[in-house]
Amino acid sequence: MEKKNKEDLFRFVEYSPEAAERVGYSDYSYWKSVFQNFLKKKSAVVMAFIFFGLVIFSFIALAIGKYDYATLVHQQDAALAFTSPNSEFWFGTDNLGRDYWCQVWYAAQTSIKLALIVALGECVVGVTIGCIWGYVRQLDRFLTELYNIINNVPMIIYMTLIALLLGHSFFIMAVALIAFGWLTMARNVRNLVLMYRDREYNLASRCLGTPIWRVLVKNILPYLISIIILRLALSIPSTIALESTLSYLGLGLGIDEPSLGILLRNARNYFLDYPYLLVFPAVIVSLITITFYLVGNAFSDAADPRNHV
Amino acid sequence: MKRRAKLLAFALAAVMCLTACGGGAGSKNESGSGDENKSAGLTDLYTFETANREMENVFILNTEMANDLNVLCNTNEGLLETNNKGQLVPAIAEKWGTEDGGLTWTFNLRKGVKWVDQQGNEKADCTAQDFITGLEWVMNFHKNGANNTSMPTDMIKGAGEYYEYTKGLSAEEGMALGTEKFLEMVGIEAPDDYTLIYHCVKNAPYFDTVCTSACLFPVSAKFIEEVGVENVLSTGIEGLWYNGAYTLTEYIQNNSKTLTKNPLYWDTECGRFETVTIKIVEDLSVGYQLYETGELDHIDLSEANLRTIYDDENNKFHDQLSEKLPRKYSYQFHFNYDKHFADGSADENWNKAVANEAFRQAWYYGLDLTKYWARTNFIAPTHCENNAYTMKGLLYFSDGTEYTKKVEELIGLPESDGTTPRRLDTEKAAEFKKQAMEELSAQGVTFPVTVNYYIVSGAQNALDTANVLKQIFSECLGDDFVTLEIGTYTSSQTKEVVKPRLQSFVINGWGADYGDVQNYLGQETIGEDTAYYANNYSNINDATNEALRATYQEFTDLVNKADAINDDMDARYNAYAEAEAYMLQHALTVPAQLEVSWQLTHVNDYSRSNAMFGIMNYKYKNWETSVDAYTTEQTAKFAEEYNK
Amino acid sequence: MFKYTIKRLLQSLVTVLIVGTIVFLLMRMLPTDYFFTEDQLMKLTEEQKNEQLLAAGLLDPIPEQLLHFYGQIVRFDFGKSRRIQSGVDVIKVIGSKFTVSMRLGVISLVISLITGVILGIIQTLNKDRLLDHVGTAYTIFVNAVPSLVSYSLVLVFGSRVLGLPSMYSTRNPSQSSILPIVCLALASIASYALWTRRYMVDELNKDYIRLARVKGLSSREIMTRHVFKNAFVPLVQYIPASFLYTIGGSLLVERFFSVPGMGPLLTDSIQRYDTNVVQTLTIIYAALGILGVFLGDVLMMIVDPRIKLTGKEGTR
Repeated sequence: MEKKNKEDLFRFVEYSPEAAERVGYSDYSYWKSVFQNFLKKKSAVVMAFIFFGLVIFSFIALAIGKYDYATLVHQQDAALAFTSPNSEFWFGTDNLGRDYWCQVWYAAQTSIKLALIVALGECVVGVTIGCIWGYVRQLDRFLTELYNIINNVPMIIYMTLIALLLGHSFFIMAVALIAFGWLTMARNVRNLVLMYRDREYNLASRCLGTPIWRVLVKNILPYLISIIILRLALSIPSTIALESTLSYLGLGLGIDEPSLGILLRNARNYFLDYPYLLVFPAVIVSLITITFYLVGNAFSDAADPRNHV
Repeated sequence: MKRRAKLLAFALAAVMCLTACGGGAGSKNESGSGDENKSAGLTDLYTFETANREMENVFILNTEMANDLNVLCNTNEGLLETNNKGQLVPAIAEKWGTEDGGLTWTFNLRKGVKWVDQQGNEKADCTAQDFITGLEWVMNFHKNGANNTSMPTDMIKGAGEYYEYTKGLSAEEGMALGTEKFLEMVGIEAPDDYTLIYHCVKNAPYFDTVCTSACLFPVSAKFIEEVGVENVLSTGIEGLWYNGAYTLTEYIQNNSKTLTKNPLYWDTECGRFETVTIKIVEDLSVGYQLYETGELDHIDLSEANLRTIYDDENNKFHDQLSEKLPRKYSYQFHFNYDKHFADGSADENWNKAVANEAFRQAWYYGLDLTKYWARTNFIAPTHCENNAYTMKGLLYFSDGTEYTKKVEELIGLPESDGTTPRRLDTEKAAEFKKQAMEELSAQGVTFPVTVNYYIVSGAQNALDTANVLKQIFSECLGDDFVTLEIGTYTSSQTKEVVKPRLQSFVINGWGADYGDVQNYLGQETIGEDTAYYANNYSNINDATNEALRATYQEFTDLVNKADAINDDMDARYNAYAEAEAYMLQHALTVPAQLEVSWQLTHVNDYSRSNAMFGIMNYKYKNWETSVDAYTTEQTAKFAEEYNK
Repeated sequence: MFKYTIKRLLQSLVTVLIVGTIVFLLMRMLPTDYFFTEDQLMKLTEEQKNEQLLAAGLLDPIPEQLLHFYGQIVRFDFGKSRRIQSGVDVIKVIGSKFTVSMRLGVISLVISLITGVILGIIQTLNKDRLLDHVGTAYTIFVNAVPSLVSYSLVLVFGSRVLGLPSMYSTRNPSQSSILPIVCLALASIASYALWTRRYMVDELNKDYIRLARVKGLSSREIMTRHVFKNAFVPLVQYIPASFLYTIGGSLLVERFFSVPGMGPLLTDSIQRYDTNVVQTLTIIYAALGILGVFLGDVLMMIVDPRIKLTGKEGTR
């Protein structure tokens, strides 16, 4: 009698994602809310537009520029060195008398391309590994060990070896930067996951048999997005800066690819007497940085699920 | 509220940084060197070295690097030194000479030369025995590896054999060796404490110039005994014994070194500073900042700094620009006659082209290097013009004629008009270009020929120069003839480029080890192991073109003929001049430049040791200095007096 | 907890050893030509080169070299420097340098931690108002301009306008340290401010804060008792590591101001193939790095008892 009652009362239910998600408030889409919230931040939206404008303009600028960007040495005459901006040379000329306009815009493209690729790569690799690292206890030790090993061999050794054995190019640079950049992201994510992993609702989810990836993606990731995006936004200017440092050590991009970092680095020798050499690339770098900072901040606020309903 | 003020201060600081550019007044000369004595020179000198040239070794016998020797020539004294005209003058040796055409050399040493410790306390006398101990150290494989061995091996009887002998010993045996076996094997002897005799392998009329190189410097046997033979290299500056003009009292790596006057130095008459501080600066533009604030007493100017000061009449340094004397390196385009691709296969297109004499001569006559020189010296580019292989000022004929003048005469160069390069002859170049293209096309060479030139990556200055060069090639030789491709290496040109033979040419400067033309031309000869450039850069021994090899053979014969003359120096130099003219007329190398740059300075360059060989040019002895920076006029006057 | 600590330290030792081994092998991946200077490479014959390599033990089979290396580590004998300061013990070379780096580093870290956190708090308190924007502008400026350029600005401003020495000098360490410290602090102030603000703003949005507000707690109380404490948790974790890392110095700053510290040592020694120095440095850095992470974890646990590192044998 009692036995029969128990079976009536309890039965196993097959796991179904739909059922698990079923809540009273149905008309909610996470990403839709994110964008709605984001669009409310006018300054960020404006900056985002300016940034896209900048990217598009860099192509136009190279097309309408009077000098060819690929050779960069077209107008090389010592007599024209350090010409201030005028109608012929819109951004003036550098120390060798080369047109600065084409250099700046070409460099801007290189830098933006590199920064975006690296940021994206870091993000994908870092978040994936970080989530697994933080959530799966059995893997924590292994991944911590791996992190320690990679992180504790100074990056400069890897970069020197890479440069010596593989040479210099955009592709090598991007891969190398991603290969080390993900560590920080992963560690950040791991720490946050650690913090949220044992919260009661996750415990509940686990008891209900929700698969790990689902707990990660649906329960934990939304909490991380704001931090991830902020990291991402910061990684872009820091990639630009890191690239210039590496170039300075002779471990940077190939010589045919001037980047904003390199232009700024060179300008430091001249900026007291020829400030325009510093100002033009600095303004562009600042624009990029500000954009990503503001957009990143706005987006990360918008991405915080607690700000939604 | 406080915070607000702080933030404002930050913003203000940023703004001021930017506006400060316009002003640029700055305070002048608060240097520790500027005492009240106006007319006298500086008592303490503050000089600089860039960070990549920091010293590595403090024991002079174990190093051949200029970085080290520029400091150590002050702490150690050799037999001879050089003066501001580049002549040999007595140091520890009072008198010296040879009576058999350079086979045996006798040096009479000065009495009363002391070894001192870092504080200047007397440790021992410096005698002929110390030179024997020194040379034994150099030639002993276990004590010294192979530093400084090349010149003694080539010149001193038995030195090479002794090196081989020590190599055969175990490390312990080698370290324990005294001088008995050495004296038995090697041609060096000390009949008494103040006489030293060297026996040369062959007639070497130039052997005395070797005495200004580190390989013949002395070391005290008592010092070795005191610290223990195995600890000599790790003694450090506190434990070393000094016999030079200064002792090294402070060595903070990557920051500064301080030399302090040696109170027991033999030459009590000479002018010396109380202290010399050598500061390490990151690069010249940082150094320029330091000069501006009075923390340095001289600074070399980068192209941009020079241009800025020169172009701006109101610049406070405008009338203080001084042209430097040429550095002791004669730069050449060294062709690679056996060029390879990165995969190891031979670059036939280039190899065929460069073996063609007309091809090379088109470069020789066609390249207008003015813009290239302007990178070093844009005020007077032609001062960097180089038309010889041997360094200008290395040697003089007995009538006082400078050796390279003779070479130029033999080549038949026109007099300089001060603006156009003397070698430049566009018509001839065009003819040779046409001839080369015809001859080479017939051999299946495709035009334009790709020319690979390598620079260190990350060095903007080198990249700028390479781009200038690229443009010169395009303008002077034409894009239908050659195209210059710039490549990069990460840290070592030798390892990454020259050893795998990837370059079409390198531009390299050779500074003499000793005062003879043999030291220059002997580096290019075919089929000889000692020829440095032939074996490492031009790879002529692996070239297959018979005509080219024949030209080289002819040149080599001329050099050997000259080297055989050792009784009449004028005849010897004349023979060398002929060999050199032959070499240049066949464009086996193409002279590139001399390094004549500009500086701001409190030091009269014309009073410094200025030899084209040896290690003495950074010896801070008899330097004329001034508390106020020298003006352009003053420097010009010095130059005039100097050249009289 | 004690057991856990011991276990983790032992693990760390293994990690350090692995790192050491990897670096050792990486250095051996370079061609032996890197053993020589440019000059030697040209002047020495192949035979002479081989003799020197042999004498230095570099031609022995790798496993043998590795064993020798382990032997050295066990004996705490890190060998002598070859090219940085020829013939001097590595320990001595490093010993003379790390104190300089650490002094500059610790001072700048303390300054930037205090200033940065305070700046972050001020920004949070004035969120979306002028002060917040000024702080943000500073953060952006520092991040946007490559460090070489900002150092140049500091150098020019400091030496011309303020008359500070622009080169580190051992005779006048206090004054000549100012500019390097400012340069070091510039960036880290920005990053501490940024993260403090970020974490605090995140915290402010949490439910319990809303509840606290509804309960009528003053915003001062909320800030000090709840927000700051909680926001500090993620920040705290990096502090020990940052302190330890000051030993390593900063490559660019030290080069720029000729500070005789640890910063440029690693690059220099790699480029000069001074294997003993490279290996010793990496082992030191690895040990410090691991210790830093460990201390960070411990500190985080102390500050936030909800976090468990020990798994099932946990403290709760």
